Amino acid sequence: MMEQLIANGIIYGCIIALAAIGLSLAYRILNFANFAHGEFLTLGAYFALFFAASLDLGFPAACFLAIAATAAFGVALDLLAWRPMRSSGASRTAIMILSIGLSIAIRNALIIFFRPDALRFPLPVSRGMSIYGMSITPLQIEVVLIASAAMLLVHALLSRTALGKSMRALADNPDLARISGINVDRVIRCTWAVSMGLAALAGIMYGLITHLNPNMGWSIILPMFAAAILGGIGNAYGAMAGGLIIGISQEISTAFLPAEYKIAVSFLIMIAVLLFRPRGLMGGG
Amino acid sequence: MLDYLVSIILTAGIYAIFALGLNLQWGYAGLLNFGHVAFMAIGAYVTVLLSMNGIPIFLAVLAGMILAGAAGASLGVATLRLREDYLAIVTIGFSEILRFVLLNWSSLTRGSFGLFGYPRPFQDLVGIRDYNLFLAGLVIAVLLMVYALLEALARSPWGRVLKSIRDDEAVAVSLGKNAFSYKVQAIALGSAIAALSGSLLAFYLQYINPNNFQPVETFYAWIMVILGGSGNNRGTILGALLLWGFFSTTRFMEGYLSFSPSASSAARMILIGLILIGLMMFRPQGLLGRKEELSIGR
Amino acid sequence: MADEMLSVNSVRKSFGGISALDGCSLRVEEGAIVGLIGPNGAGKSTLFDVISGFVQPDAGCILFSGREILGMPAYKIARLGLVRTFQIPRSLMRMTVLENMMLGAQGQAGERIHLSLLRRGRVMAQEKDIQEKAEEILQFFDLLRMRDEYAGSLSGGQKKMLEMARALMADPRLLLLDEPFAGVNPALADRLIERIRILKERGLSMVIIEHAIPYVLALSDRLYVLNKGAVLASGHPQEVISDRRVFEAYLGEGDNAQP
Repeated sequence: MMEQLIANGIIYGCIIALAAIGLSLAYRILNFANFAHGEFLTLGAYFALFFAASLDLGFPAACFLAIAATAAFGVALDLLAWRPMRSSGASRTAIMILSIGLSIAIRNALIIFFRPDALRFPLPVSRGMSIYGMSITPLQIEVVLIASAAMLLVHALLSRTALGKSMRALADNPDLARISGINVDRVIRCTWAVSMGLAALAGIMYGLITHLNPNMGWSIILPMFAAAILGGIGNAYGAMAGGLIIGISQEISTAFLPAEYKIAVSFLIMIAVLLFRPRGLMGGG
Repeated sequence: MLDYLVSIILTAGIYAIFALGLNLQWGYAGLLNFGHVAFMAIGAYVTVLLSMNGIPIFLAVLAGMILAGAAGASLGVATLRLREDYLAIVTIGFSEILRFVLLNWSSLTRGSFGLFGYPRPFQDLVGIRDYNLFLAGLVIAVLLMVYALLEALARSPWGRVLKSIRDDEAVAVSLGKNAFSYKVQAIALGSAIAALSGSLLAFYLQYINPNNFQPVETFYAWIMVILGGSGNNRGTILGALLLWGFFSTTRFMEGYLSFSPSASSAARMILIGLILIGLMMFRPQGLLGRKEELSIGR
Repeated sequence: MADEMLSVNSVRKSFGGISALDGCSLRVEEGAIVGLIGPNGAGKSTLFDVISGFVQPDAGCILFSGREILGMPAYKIARLGLVRTFQIPRSLMRMTVLENMMLGAQGQAGERIHLSLLRRGRVMAQEKDIQEKAEEILQFFDLLRMRDEYAGSLSGGQKKMLEMARALMADPRLLLLDEPFAGVNPALADRLIERIRILKERGLSMVIIEHAIPYVLALSDRLYVLNKGAVLASGHPQEVISDRRVFEAYLGEGDNAQP
């Protein structure tokens, strides 16, 4: 019984982890909490649905396209919204409220275009197999594998590439990084692309194991922030760990609490972190 | 015609009170409360549940305000020593969790079925026919009292300290002011005012359910505060009227263009989102804000 | 022997591996002016931050009038009478000069929310007294005519004066002045020297960080030189200035040395 909950938690936690990486990096590098982040998960999933349905590609190809499209959308947003705000010296508050406005607009645009009903990806239903007494579907295993691969890719990007090192430098110490000649605008654009791409992937996977609806991203914004804060804002590895911890904690909590209150667990964890260790598990401070 | 005026006063007035609470927190104290609607919900539900169980209405309203104030203060204590935006995250989380709890704790709140049939102040005395008129008068009275209170506080030494904390906390601290304590007080008072507006809303609607208290309501308050110029109480009330105007106009147009109900409310929400984006990008000081007192566009 | 107003002992502070203060000690006698000089990055402002409670040190001990203040929140330290100014003046731009000043007052009952609403009479009376005191101090600094202007519209030199004036409102016993002469033109600077001397006569103890050595020499009873987070030399100003090591420390910082 507990193993099933932990397994469910790992699956769900991988998705939160992927989403939280992007949220955490963008938060640190751009210095604001992006409340529209959930909508990029949603967009990724809906793009995938749209491409799979309208273009005659296989589902995986549609997913790649969706991730690319969401990443491009993120970069475009930087050019249209975030960069002008940065250059005009807008305060952090203004940018956050803008992100709220964006979140409301995107969510409701999706409601109009795709209607508020739940939708599923055009894939055959995945049947649960029995592994060590737990019921797991092949799809869920794929989700965990893909998420792990994505996290490894992120690790490779951050530790081995020049871009990744610039991103970490900018995340660790923005002022120092700026002085040391890093092309800040370019790194910021790449950060958005990576952040949005990961969010899109997370959204697709969330849609795979549950279903799609315009509120899907917004409904998990709290666990995403909790994971990012738990791991330490700006630390991608922290976000990965945080996501898994949040996911597993939420699932385990259903053994004691009614399942509907799962989401309160991430809120309580977040408050606990802020009270006792605000910089998170791996945060610099 | 009178009915129409009464409904304006009731809607715009209640939301004005709601927004004034936020104006204290943001406009005067510089605090980022993204979960203001939670405190309205606390006010509404506590008032209704207590009065349904025999507690005198006045005490029930007071209890709602105290509980909301305490909740706000707790959130503040947890986050105010940290970055300002952590308060935003925590308050938005709190408002979602609260809505969730209200939806799922059916034994207490009857979930999405909602609560109705609860007592309203002076219901027997006034009678059903003229009740809304009476309530409108009550709302105006409360609005004026809250406005007077906030103006008095703004002009007082307490208000001066609060404004200094907003502008440059280090200065206030270097002059011996306990900035943390002031911020907690501002949150508590603003939340209590939101609760009061929630109680009034419950009296007006005669029926409450968790869907009345979605996160977007908080951002209606933000629009009202920003439109009027953050920190300007009169401006906030004007903002409430303008927003009310927006809602009425869009509802009116809905009748002409035949959208489906969900599509039309979604369209309205898109406009709200665009208004927020537009304000932040082009006019963060709102319509009445003065350049020297530019609050959001620092 | 005068009483010790301030005793800073072996204070250490690192920021993420970089040592800012490395066993720094300093004494201020009651009624004395202590000058604090040193090359850029020596840790002077950090020392002020630590003394006034804005930054918590990693180690050390700080006694203010014999009382341990290390670990105390900054606002409490200010209330005890230890007030600091900031290197770059932090005027509250959206408040008027007079409002800036009145903020500095201590013990205004109306700063407590319940009293501001219930004890209107007492609060109003206090406001009158505070305003008189504020105007007196503004007059002392030649700022009275600017009293109703927004602080944001003052010139750099005026903002510096306001910074100091406001700090005086808080009835300090020890005033930490961070570069009070920076950006102040020579004519104004002479007036400022006069004023600081008058304040000293009235019994105020001060620690002054300053880059312009002549002013520090003119005012200090005792001079400390900070370098790399520790005290390089201390003592009578003329002796300290002639110390070769001090000259070399300044040279060490490159083109900006000016002993």
